[in-house]
Amino acid sequence: MADFDSMTRYVSPVNPAIFPHLTFVLLGIGIFFTAWFFVYEVTSTKLSRDIKKELLLSLVASIFSGFGILFLLLTVGIYV
Amino acid sequence: MLRLLSILAVIGYVVCAIPINSNLVNKNVDRIIDLNSQLVKVTASITLENTGKDPVSNVLIFMEPDAQGALAFISAQDALKEDLKLEPIKVDGINDAYDVKLRQPLNQGRTAGITVEYVYTDALQPYPNSISQKDRQLVRYFGNHYFYSPYKTVKQTTTVMLNSRDIESYTKLKPVSQQDTTITYGPYNNIESLTVDQLIVHYENNAPFLTVTRIERLIEISHWGNIAVQENTEIYHSGAKLKGPFSRYDYQRDSSSSHHSIKAYHTVLPAAAHSIYYRDSNGNISTSQVRPRKDWIELELRPRFPLFGGWKSSYTLGYSVPSYQYLFKTNNNQYVLKMRLLDHVFDDMHVNELETSIVLPVGVKNVQLKTPYPVQRLDDEVTYKYLDNLGRMIIKLRKENLVEQHIQDLEITYDWQSVLLLHEPILLSLALYALFVFVIIYVRLDFSIHKPDHSKTQ
Repeated sequence: MADFDSMTRYVSPVNPAIFPHLTFVLLGIGIFFTAWFFVYEVTSTKLSRDIKKELLLSLVASIFSGFGILFLLLTVGIYV
Repeated sequence: MLRLLSILAVIGYVVCAIPINSNLVNKNVDRIIDLNSQLVKVTASITLENTGKDPVSNVLIFMEPDAQGALAFISAQDALKEDLKLEPIKVDGINDAYDVKLRQPLNQGRTAGITVEYVYTDALQPYPNSISQKDRQLVRYFGNHYFYSPYKTVKQTTTVMLNSRDIESYTKLKPVSQQDTTITYGPYNNIESLTVDQLIVHYENNAPFLTVTRIERLIEISHWGNIAVQENTEIYHSGAKLKGPFSRYDYQRDSSSSHHSIKAYHTVLPAAAHSIYYRDSNGNISTSQVRPRKDWIELELRPRFPLFGGWKSSYTLGYSVPSYQYLFKTNNNQYVLKMRLLDHVFDDMHVNELETSIVLPVGVKNVQLKTPYPVQRLDDEVTYKYLDNLGRMIIKLRKENLVEQHIQDLEITYDWQSVLLLHEPILLSLALYALFVFVIIYVRLDFSIHKPDHSKTQ
């Protein structure tokens, strides 16, 4: 069934050695945007709020935090 | 249709089982019975001779009908040490009969050598079957002075290897000699086919009589580059039962190595194993040691208490290995996992029941399984691991009565899209985004019962 000559050994698309660094960078950016979002939410008033800015900030924050948390899990050994 | 097929198969069995070629003769048989451990390992080197005219291409191997214990493993090799094909056949009155296909037909007057190796478990009986803490463990082996064969045997010798010089008794069918820890029977000449003459050896055997009553092996694949392995093991001391009380004082004072109780044992992990953990039902036991060797990792495990006959213990052992050791990829998104169905638990192990579960990644398709020997495949299951909303398929395999020779690779082939790696981070991002959207909506809601100040001033 399996012809091992034509096969390559499977390695992770991301080198496990850089998991901790990726965690720091991605989660750092994610927390920065999250903080910005919440600061914006509490400081803006009903009149000065801009829905587009809010959605954009939260989107960037959630994407970076999402990937950051994933690599955090991988770093600590929870291979999802 | 299935019934018809099975009937045909039975008829086929009977037809191929009946003719015992009386022209085939065992010219010489050298049998080595290794009783050093808890297993009975027999190696029989057989020189076959064809005294008839027709070429012979099949050889029958029979096991004694009233043999003690259970046959766990059998293999046959030719003179060039290449494995021959063994096929189980049904013969009346014989539990285990095999048909060996020779690589080349044996012509008239020619000889050929084959080596048959087999392992029996639960064949050594502790006698007496309960002993006190200080006693030595004596066991009895019941066998056959003659090589059990459907063919006539011209000349044969049997060597019984023991692990101690203390032999209480052994049957003395002349010529027989004992030297140190080996007993040699024979040569016996011109023994008719299917002759049984009971051989009994009663000797001291302090090797660990440790049976794995059940092992659950869980293999979890992550395409982020890791394979996690976890083994839940239940062990049982199947030697002579402990009679009377257990004295810790006597136990600590007795420093002799030949003791029937089990203090610790060694297991072997793959060289690339990391993140090793070991615990039993109530937490970590700190008496375990890891020693990296060049090609493997040696792990010394100590059960929470020494094991005496009839005592049980259980533990969980787990570790991770990088995926490149066992996972292979073809060009068209097809992956092959090549991993051991059963791994080393301890030397000369005997596993009663094995259940291997393989957790495949999310979204696999077209799963194919190839096992090194026949196993029972249980129903597939679905499990939910971390960050998983779709469920992951589990393949479950089960087999009973295994020994060291069963440590072989299984192959699982499946199709999988690498885009699915993004499933987990996108799931996380969506969850966070939902949280943010909730905040955006929340700040627009007004729960106050009085009008805000700025609206009054307007």
